[in-house]
Amino acid sequence: MAARGGKQSRSGAGLSGRKGADEQEEEEQPLQAVLVADSFNRRFFPVTKDQPRALLPLGNVAMIDYTLEFLTSTGVQETFVFCCWMASEIKEHLLSSKWCRQSSPNTVHIITSEQYRSLGDVLRDVDAKSLLRSDFVLIYGDVVSNIDISSALHAHRHRRKMDKNISVMTMIFKESSPGHKSRCEEDDVIVAMDSKSQRILHYQKTQGLKRLQFPMNIFHNGSDEFEIRHDLLDCHISICSPQVAELFTDNFDYQSRNDFVRGMLVNEEILGNQIHMHVTKDGYGVRVSNLLMYDSVSSDLVRRWVYPLTPEANFIDQKGLSCTYSRHNVYRGSGVSLGHGSQMEENVLIGSDTNIGANCYICNSVIGNNCTIGDNVTLDHAYIWNNVHIASNVMISQSLVCDKAEIKEWVKLNKQCVLAYNVVIGPNMSLPEGTVVSMHHPDEEEEEDDDEFMSDDAAVGHSKDKAKLKVFNPAEVGVGGRGYIWKASSLDDTEDEEISQCLWGLVLNPDPESESEDSEPEDPDDPVIPSPEMEDVKVFQLEVLGTLQRGLEENISFDNLVLEINSLKYAYNITLKEVMQILTRVVLEYPFQQQGPQLTPSQYVGLLLPLLKKWAPVFKNYVKRAQDHLDCLSAFEEHFLEQESHWAAMVKVLMNMYQLEILEEETILRWFSQGATTDKSRQLRKNQGLSPTQPLSDSEQIHDHDTHAIKG
Amino acid sequence: MRRRHNHPDVVPNHFHRQHTHTQTPSCPVSPLISSRFYTTTMPAPDKEIDLTERIEAFLSDLKRGGSGTGPLRGSAEMARETTALLRRIAAQARWSNAGDLMEIIRTEGRRMTAAQPSETTVGNMIRRVLKIIREEYARSRGSSEETDQQESLHKLLTSGGLSEENFRQHFAALKANVIEAINELLTELEGTTDNIKMQALEHIHSNEVIMTIGRSRTVEAFLKDAARKRKFHVIVAECAPFCQGHKMATSLSEAGIETTVITDAAIFAVMSRVNKVIIGTQTVLANGGLRAVNGTHTLALAAKHHSTPLIVCAPMFKLSPQVRSLCLPARGEILSKLITLFISNIGGHAPSYIYRLMSELYHPEDHEL
Repeated sequence: MAARGGKQSRSGAGLSGRKGADEQEEEEQPLQAVLVADSFNRRFFPVTKDQPRALLPLGNVAMIDYTLEFLTSTGVQETFVFCCWMASEIKEHLLSSKWCRQSSPNTVHIITSEQYRSLGDVLRDVDAKSLLRSDFVLIYGDVVSNIDISSALHAHRHRRKMDKNISVMTMIFKESSPGHKSRCEEDDVIVAMDSKSQRILHYQKTQGLKRLQFPMNIFHNGSDEFEIRHDLLDCHISICSPQVAELFTDNFDYQSRNDFVRGMLVNEEILGNQIHMHVTKDGYGVRVSNLLMYDSVSSDLVRRWVYPLTPEANFIDQKGLSCTYSRHNVYRGSGVSLGHGSQMEENVLIGSDTNIGANCYICNSVIGNNCTIGDNVTLDHAYIWNNVHIASNVMISQSLVCDKAEIKEWVKLNKQCVLAYNVVIGPNMSLPEGTVVSMHHPDEEEEEDDDEFMSDDAAVGHSKDKAKLKVFNPAEVGVGGRGYIWKASSLDDTEDEEISQCLWGLVLNPDPESESEDSEPEDPDDPVIPSPEMEDVKVFQLEVLGTLQRGLEENISFDNLVLEINSLKYAYNITLKEVMQILTRVVLEYPFQQQGPQLTPSQYVGLLLPLLKKWAPVFKNYVKRAQDHLDCLSAFEEHFLEQESHWAAMVKVLMNMYQLEILEEETILRWFSQGATTDKSRQLRKNQGLSPTQPLSDSEQIHDHDTHAIKG
Repeated sequence: MRRRHNHPDVVPNHFHRQHTHTQTPSCPVSPLISSRFYTTTMPAPDKEIDLTERIEAFLSDLKRGGSGTGPLRGSAEMARETTALLRRIAAQARWSNAGDLMEIIRTEGRRMTAAQPSETTVGNMIRRVLKIIREEYARSRGSSEETDQQESLHKLLTSGGLSEENFRQHFAALKANVIEAINELLTELEGTTDNIKMQALEHIHSNEVIMTIGRSRTVEAFLKDAARKRKFHVIVAECAPFCQGHKMATSLSEAGIETTVITDAAIFAVMSRVNKVIIGTQTVLANGGLRAVNGTHTLALAAKHHSTPLIVCAPMFKLSPQVRSLCLPARGEILSKLITLFISNIGGHAPSYIYRLMSELYHPEDHEL
């Protein structure tokens, strides 16, 4: 470390005098960065089966090089690269790149482990190894950016100095209007912030929702200016304090940065940690999170939005990869030959030693090194990687063709096709929209589902054996074709369905779907543990239901039930009022959930009454004050409003609750006289056969009769 | 307006000689001056690592130049930094004769120019240093400067220039001489803006209306210097989309100059009122043309239409032996016939005279690095 310090002081004094003194006194510590070279998801599957995402070429340069260049240009002096999937390949790439040369101003340390399964694991490991000494930049290996974060860094340090380390993270956002091409729809966020301090008050992924809820308490903490913004693009660059790693260790359930941000915001009052944001107007910062983003980032790159990271800059300093730049954003590497009559319309990047035949038409495309392209080929929004052979009369639109793939004559690739490594297609066929072809059979996937992060050579050897056993279907890939089709329909389990959707990051269907999604988890048979984005209240309801069920099955004493519900209440941050209402609802719905919705009212009552008796102590524990009784009753009313056919049972249930001393007479009467706000609830009251003037003791007698009648 | 130079040799060639050898360099370069002496005390391998490190840092700075993330700077600073780095190479690299040194500088120079093709200043400074080495070598060999200067067309054709073999002779004093000459070059670079702005009063008269476009540090200094004595009105075209003109206008009005900002579209309409157009440039091409910020061509055509004189403030280090300009975004080429006068740090020149300056500054063999 002493050597690095010395190096810095020398360069500070010499060449770059303007960097000089003031920066040096501020940064006693060199700036560090944590680069996560793994996405921990399978969005680029099956392409990433052969090469990790960080090494996928974007404009003929591996994605991780863009990230490292960004870090280096912001003045990061030490970068820890964490790799998991195909770590050895990433390591090999980095060791041969300019980042590991002795003269590199940014020292790159590569840390590999097969144990990492999320960002949380990486940061916990950072904490365990205590690698970080000061503020650091946290970034994924697939972020392309030229944003100047020095002002954000400065503000972050200033805040930390002023507020005694309260601020733990500064997230970088770029202003960009909703629906902009560089915005990833899955990452759309809505952020409530304090305008003065730039503090994040609320952070929510919109996920195509149209209705959003903000907790009121965020508007009650002193500041008088708030902004709720939806015009922000999350650059996935964050400046973190060293505590972030510790916080990840403390909260072992944090998986992603999203979990972390939500956790920090929810527990802000307890832990006292704050998260800030920095909004930049210019610059470019996008994470390549799916193929649609790959498409838009690639074309932005060629259109020079990421200047100075342009293709002709050759910033990775690799020999033989320089290219020339000419009008209409046409870039040509060395040794490119272009046949007679071939046109490169605009935004075209062609790697070195690529041969293109006659009468081709190419626009908005990126072609890698050492490719051969035949005559009369049309390429529009095509991303062709290295060593690809394309025969004559081929048409490709908005598709991805990976290394060493071959496309024979008269093949047409419709939109959003993906040809993974070494695939051969054709001749004479047309691939329908969204076809994914890979040398790996989709069935292999199911077998090795669990160990998706297994070491890469094992995976390759395994797959080769498999490939030989299975036959290629000429109807799918052509007579001379090699490869298997990956289809959404051919894969039955939900996870893979998600993957095939995600390759191109399908547009999220706006409203109807997301709402139905919300109601799904109410289904008690659904064993899926709800995602953390789901509303806490619903999760809580499910958990209460589970608790009560277990209580019945295992005959757990009511003290323990109460204890469990209480702990759930804190885990999901539920108010006492909500607990009461949810409890009431769960109990009332219990017979339906056990026996199905077709119960008759008398069956329902018969099932419910013993349950009520059993759980009465639990109710009594929560329902104490008059207000509690009213809350309980309103939940009761809500339930019966939904179950119109069971109104007959209502009286009996209410009566029973009164007898069990869950509800008091006074409050029942008060509810009866006041509550009705809608027509339906008025009707409900009428139906009950009670008039407001009739004392409850009378009705008690009536109901005594009723119960006797049932017994009789 | 057009000046004729019937005696080209009267113009101070080797203007860097006009500073006497005894002059001490000014402050900003002083820490670099001392490097010459500390080279002798440092162990060799460390020295080379240090040198490559500096070159790499400079290269990556160049690549990031002009962006939000990189250090933003003017071409004057870029010229100084390049020259300082070249002096460091001359001082620290291993070479025994002029040929070796030239080869080293050429190799590094090629990388530097490739790193940022739009920044011609870097290439220009490399050519200047190469020329210095040639001259110092020639002096060491004993051939006088005067004879070298009077290379006639005939001599050029017959000898084919000094071939590389001739630079193989070893001279002990060469290193010191080269570094001394580069120091003089640095001193000259320090004073360029001052030299240009000193001429302001000859060109700007009272109550004139001057038009400029975008922001040029040289033009800014030029106008501000004139404003000390004269009252005049400046119209600044904003130079969309980056609108550097706004910054320029603010700066000028702070100096007490009456300033108006116009949109680029209004250039032609306003031109009829303008007495003089004064612009800066990124590069002066060998044919007397310019490569300047987009919009300048519009301005130049409008000025031609109204026969308004167009004056270009360009220090000598912007003079590039390129004839055709590269395709660069946000830059346009302006033909020499649209330009009335160049004002450089050594005086005013007509565009037709640029070729002569070029041959004085750079050796013909160095035009292609």
